[in-house]
Amino acid sequence: MIIYLIVLFAVTLIYLASAERLLNYVRLIAIQGLLLCGIALLELKDVNTANLVFIVAETLLFKTLLIPYLLSAIIGKSGVTKVHRQAIPGFYLLLFSIGAMLLSVVLANSLINPFINTIYMTIALYTLFTGLLLIVTHRLIISHLIGFLIIENAVFIFSLAVGSEMPMLINIGILLDIFVGVLILGFFGLRLKPNTNELTMLKD
Amino acid sequence: MLLLFFITAVLMVVLIFLLRNRTITKFISIGYAIMHILLSVYCWSNQNFTELRYFTFNSTGVLLLSILSVLAIPTLYHGFIYTRGNDLKKFNIYHGALITLMTFMSGAYLANGMTVLWIFVEATTLAVALLIYHDRTEMALEATWKYVFICSAGIALAYLGILFLGFIYGREDAASLTFSSLSVLINQANPMYLKIAFLFVLIGFSTKMGLFPMHTVTIDAHSVAPPPVSALISTTLMNVGFLAIYRVYTLFSSSSILPFMNRVLIFAGLLSLLVAAGYMLKAKHLKRMLAYSSLENMGLVAIATGVGGSGYYAAILLIVLHSFAKSSLFYQMGQLSRVLGTFRLDDCGNYMKLYPAGSLVLITGLFCILAIPPSGLFISEFLMMKGLVNNGQWFVLITAIILLCFVIYAMSTRFMHIIFSNPRQYPEFTPSGKVRPVETVTQFLLLGVVIAICFYQPQFLVDIINQSLSLLPR
Repeated sequence: MIIYLIVLFAVTLIYLASAERLLNYVRLIAIQGLLLCGIALLELKDVNTANLVFIVAETLLFKTLLIPYLLSAIIGKSGVTKVHRQAIPGFYLLLFSIGAMLLSVVLANSLINPFINTIYMTIALYTLFTGLLLIVTHRLIISHLIGFLIIENAVFIFSLAVGSEMPMLINIGILLDIFVGVLILGFFGLRLKPNTNELTMLKD
Repeated sequence: MLLLFFITAVLMVVLIFLLRNRTITKFISIGYAIMHILLSVYCWSNQNFTELRYFTFNSTGVLLLSILSVLAIPTLYHGFIYTRGNDLKKFNIYHGALITLMTFMSGAYLANGMTVLWIFVEATTLAVALLIYHDRTEMALEATWKYVFICSAGIALAYLGILFLGFIYGREDAASLTFSSLSVLINQANPMYLKIAFLFVLIGFSTKMGLFPMHTVTIDAHSVAPPPVSALISTTLMNVGFLAIYRVYTLFSSSSILPFMNRVLIFAGLLSLLVAAGYMLKAKHLKRMLAYSSLENMGLVAIATGVGGSGYYAAILLIVLHSFAKSSLFYQMGQLSRVLGTFRLDDCGNYMKLYPAGSLVLITGLFCILAIPPSGLFISEFLMMKGLVNNGQWFVLITAIILLCFVIYAMSTRFMHIIFSNPRQYPEFTPSGKVRPVETVTQFLLLGVVIAICFYQPQFLVDIINQSLSLLPR
């Protein structure tokens, strides 16, 4: 079952690289939150109740509901529906994404370790590369936000790769990261003009 | 004691927002500074003692904590002056956020494990965001957004590095491990994991240390942050980033990847120097120029660490002295903007006539920050270069010297213009702002320490730096 969820997660990443409608980004982020919840619940066998509540809150409450809601609000405010000013066309981005996937497979297999799950390592690396790709290749602030959220998901998957129990300390770290994500979205996302790339007041 | 410190700090911040009284806020802030000094004294007298499981008073942490204690008083003092004209809400937010930031930095200095250190570093981002956004302008919003976004992305990468450390250990409680328990496992680890972990940690925590390639975040933050806040971001917060990288470096130094780490640090250091020199030559904003100077100094720290041997001592000494010299220059920038009403180079001039005490700080600070004798920074840069000569790293040495010449030229010409020339834009401009010379005393004291270190290094300082280096290969 976990493997299907992981494959679905990889599909969302491919779709993210090729999508141009902002609403699709929001849906994909929400779906990723849901998939992460499923993967975590199936993977973490020895988890205690407090940690379980933490994980469900992180994935369902924040990643699936709150963050997509805030993203929708930002998109609604900006009135922009498509990523029309990205630095490179979607097709090339898709090629980069496939390249990133291959690189992740090669890297994960060259880093074989008896303690960690190679599938998790592969998908975590691919998620990380996709997030970085979005930040580097897109020019809109909203795309950068989405890239950041994808990197947060990569961190979550990395922390799952290390074992069947997710310690509270890692949970606190991830929750703090999510809190910062929500702060960025809620505070800055709604104040800055997310439909522009004109953050150029500060320069030499 | 540490628990008491954290609880009191939280209560102080809560009281600031509950009581909403300017005088009480001032008293609370001064009380916090005194409490911080007491904490430093306690940590000095209980070195290597562990409290609350996740905090150990080791030498590097205690040294950096003490620097924060020393800078807390002038930062609060200049902060009181800066926020004088603010409404009560902004005044309280500023001082509440400042106490929060100093508490988070203290936690980061004393953390004995990577995850706890990471949590405190991440938390500093939130406090700094409040302080950068203090003036509520569009530029402040842009700078805060860039700071929070790039720091958060960078720190997420650093977290991946920490998780790679967990893969070495292979158990779910890896993140809770202390540096000392991890050090036992390092020699059995796959070097590839160590290299990846180091790269992630270096890139991630570079956002805080202000090192290339993540330096841009702090440069923009300096343009708009209140000068006393810039003084903290450029010194004690950069020290937090340095500490995180230094802890991992120390941890991995017993493994086979030491030459790799040294090469990466020297490369990052040289690139930092190159970027700093290039941008300082075209700098038009004084605080941005000082921010590039911090990039240059952090580049030197990275090179000194990568050199090894005497370079290690040079790196720590440079961190200590840079904190004092740079903070005094940033405090002076606050006064300069009150006198001249601007940070733009073209609008500045005749500072010697308008405020001689401030001009003396600028001249002394210039000598200190450029490591020109009698600056104590000269000792650290000399030790770094000696290490480069001993290692036969002539290319690095010559490149660094050439780039430093550009830095010296850029800073000297700009400072001399401010002090002695007429403003380029409006030569007849006569600003009305006044600063009392007594307000400059703290800056002279800090610069005095930097100069004194050139002639005499107290034994307690030498001892604690040597203790910090005890785990490194000599």
